[in-house]
Amino acid sequence: MSSFIEKPRFACPLGGALATVGALPRVVPILHSSQGCGGNSNGAIMGAAGHLGSGYCGGASVPASGISEQQIVFGGITRLEEQLQSTTEIIDADLFVVITGCTAEIIGDDVPAVVRAYNADRNSRAPLIHATAAGFKGNSYFGYDSVLQSLFRDYVVPAEKKKKHHVNLWGAPPAFDVFWEGNLLELRRILEGIGLTVNSFFTNRDSLPVIRNSAEAELNIVVSPVNGVPAAEVFKEVHGVDHFITDLPIGAKATETFVREVAQRLDLCKKQVETFLEAENKRYYHFFNRISDSYCDLDLQRYTVIVADTTYAVALTRFAVKELGWLPTLVAITDPIEDDKKPPFLDLFEGILDNPKATVVYETDASQVSKHLFKRWPQSDGGKYSRPFSPSFVIGSRLDKDFADSIKAGHLSVAYPISNRFVLNRAYAGYTGALHLVEDIFSVLVANR
Amino acid sequence: MSYLHLKVPPTRDVRLRPCNAFGGKLDDLVEGQKTGCLCTSGRTFAQTTGCQLTLSMGMAASIPNSVVIYHGPVGCGAASLALAGVSKQSQQARGNDDAVGRVWFSTNLSEVDVVAGGEQKLEDAIFEADRRFKPHAIFIGNTCVPAIIGDDIDSVAERIQDRVNARIIPLHCEGFKTRFVATAYDIVYHGILRHLLDDKKPAPALTEAEQLAYDEKKKRTVNLLNVGSMSHVDEIELVRILNALGLEVNVYPCFTAAEKFVKVKDAALSVSICATHDDYFVEHLQEHYGIPYVLNTIPIGTDNVRLWLLDIADFFNIREQALELIKKEETELRAALAPLLPLFKDKRAFVSTGEIRAGAQACMLENDLGMQVIGIRAHHYDHFGEIVFESFKGRDEIPINVAANQPYEQVNLLRRLKPDLFLGHGNSNVWAAKQGVPVLPIYGPQNNYLGYKGIFEVAIRLERILKNSNYYNTLGDTTTLPYKEEWYDLDPFTYIRQTGEAA
Repeated sequence: MSSFIEKPRFACPLGGALATVGALPRVVPILHSSQGCGGNSNGAIMGAAGHLGSGYCGGASVPASGISEQQIVFGGITRLEEQLQSTTEIIDADLFVVITGCTAEIIGDDVPAVVRAYNADRNSRAPLIHATAAGFKGNSYFGYDSVLQSLFRDYVVPAEKKKKHHVNLWGAPPAFDVFWEGNLLELRRILEGIGLTVNSFFTNRDSLPVIRNSAEAELNIVVSPVNGVPAAEVFKEVHGVDHFITDLPIGAKATETFVREVAQRLDLCKKQVETFLEAENKRYYHFFNRISDSYCDLDLQRYTVIVADTTYAVALTRFAVKELGWLPTLVAITDPIEDDKKPPFLDLFEGILDNPKATVVYETDASQVSKHLFKRWPQSDGGKYSRPFSPSFVIGSRLDKDFADSIKAGHLSVAYPISNRFVLNRAYAGYTGALHLVEDIFSVLVANR
Repeated sequence: MSYLHLKVPPTRDVRLRPCNAFGGKLDDLVEGQKTGCLCTSGRTFAQTTGCQLTLSMGMAASIPNSVVIYHGPVGCGAASLALAGVSKQSQQARGNDDAVGRVWFSTNLSEVDVVAGGEQKLEDAIFEADRRFKPHAIFIGNTCVPAIIGDDIDSVAERIQDRVNARIIPLHCEGFKTRFVATAYDIVYHGILRHLLDDKKPAPALTEAEQLAYDEKKKRTVNLLNVGSMSHVDEIELVRILNALGLEVNVYPCFTAAEKFVKVKDAALSVSICATHDDYFVEHLQEHYGIPYVLNTIPIGTDNVRLWLLDIADFFNIREQALELIKKEETELRAALAPLLPLFKDKRAFVSTGEIRAGAQACMLENDLGMQVIGIRAHHYDHFGEIVFESFKGRDEIPINVAANQPYEQVNLLRRLKPDLFLGHGNSNVWAAKQGVPVLPIYGPQNNYLGYKGIFEVAIRLERILKNSNYYNTLGDTTTLPYKEEWYDLDPFTYIRQTGEAA
């Protein structure tokens, strides 16, 4: 039973699907939904995603059938077919994705039939696939997964013969991981450094022909315990490629573990891997250790509250504990879970937190995070020997800034939504990414100097 | 005629029958709208727009100490996420020191709820919102899904209102119900009229002296109706010139605390700055509370500021005083503008925004700044538009495009017209910029556009933008737009359809 949510930190599947399609090279979405769905999602996937722009054909340019009362009563297929025809006349794309929203799916338009008919007769027009994204089916992470599934089932061509050392990489959803492109590019760089050929779908280095042939990969690597995991199952079912689900690696320690796991799975040359890791570590600590003087003299260790989706909650907690030497008092995972279900993924915090059950909580509502903190660290009464929650830092989303201010903690927007920063190619993952994260966090700590 | 007895007011589609698909000459638009045929026009190729939900909730959420509940699947309110900090700033700017910004919930309807109904979740959310935030008002924004499955948000509100401290205000802003997002304004005003205007407690009895003072003050008090796209400095400027006429001003509805709405009856006149927003509200205020109104234009540019001020002045019988004020202000303004005019002479501008602002701003660019307006786009067009486009009648060389965004038409037009400047609405500007055209946003939460000082502020910003347009030029050189070359050879209005399914 899903509950109401105060300030949900995601959009609906349609929003997720729009952002995902928008990040594919020369792929254009066609919405089959109420007229407002695209316009409303745009705020979530642009202004709240590090000011990610409209891109090639996003924002107000997204083609849309604009279901209104007429279509609700009489059906929307005629309008959709008309829109498909006109879109293919005027828009230059290599692939179109029809994304269906609430109203289209409630009124029961047979979109797959329309898509089949289109593809059977497409002539020189670009191919068309369909991603289901009705708003009540989940949230934006569902939409991301839905687009991946459609790609895997309906666009990626079968490949009996697999190519050695070719891998597919996903798990960082466009817009909803605000640093997705930088993250994927950094992880690509690392995987290429150990001799792999990488397809990462959603970066400026990716292209449709490669995506189309991605079933030739030896292994799929999913850098999230949750995002894109169902799609990995589909890839295995349809194309027989195995997958490796792991956490998003941030920092030298986590990235080294990541690299070794991939190397072991693919039986890579040990020497090349070790040489690569040695060079990366050297470079990393050359920069990372530079903070040491100020870390010492200014005592930059912090108690921290981490507020993020599952993927970032795990990744940031691990980085904060193992590399920054910080102390997470509370980790609030903002993804919704069923009330009666046991909190999932606590095991991912084993070896990082002393008592995951006590430290980790699932909380979707922004205003409630403070009460979880005060349960674990009672508010100080200001007495002579009381213990205030200080010095402290909140690593969360933009929505957690008021909370951070209220407990006089530093704050950095890392998790979605982020409206108070611009993000271009910045990574937080891997080696380079972690150095960025250190710069950004520690800059907050010295902002008034 | 009053619609307040209805749960849901009629949509604009029915009530005003506007047009949102047109391309061609202004005179054809004005005359065509009068015949009533244009309101069925649609498009065979369409691009996404917003819906009345976002506009409604934007207005509702601006009200401090209120909570907004989006009753629907989790994505319907997601646009709020981009405004996390902005709402708080705007509320604080109007003196709401303890403002916390926008507070919203989603009832997060799931697949199960689509089958079983979502009313229970709505009840739960209302109780929790009331408990957590103790707001004065809780607005419920209904969305497509609960409307289709038959959730009755008015019943929910009615049956739990006496167990909840906040006033529960249901808003029927379902996206698919109207093709014109401006219906949103009627929806919110309908809620305000029905729920926020009556004093729950009886007013304390006044002494005779107090009553006299009250009556005197009321005689020269106006309700100034602001809009969400106005800035606080816009409000300050309008209050300044109304004060100069000896008038007291109360500002509604955006950013006004919910408890203050009862005082909207304490005015002699309602002053709208935009018919698109306010015609529903002012008509009902007149019918139910006897408060007359002026509604003709938006005070942008000296021509329209004059028209606006004289409408108000004539009501209070102070035309002479107003003419003196106008003369003084215009003299001061023209002196300030003089050094800027050489830069603007012969600059070719394209304007794109809501109907009323489009006409007035275009007029300002020509008559106050000496530019040449070469094209105008309006989000929709209805009979209220005629007066602001008066100065463009008969000028057949200026294409008029009525469209809610639809950048594909804009891109085609701009490729042909090659303006030096584009002044547009959020989400449209970037598509002109991507063609290399320098842009000034045509409204903004921090800037002054209205009144006399607004004219000057727009002028100095335009001067700044024209001085260095490198950013835009580079953008134009390095962007590939998504349209096939063939599109640019076609008429920009090729995909506007006169008959059949309106879309």
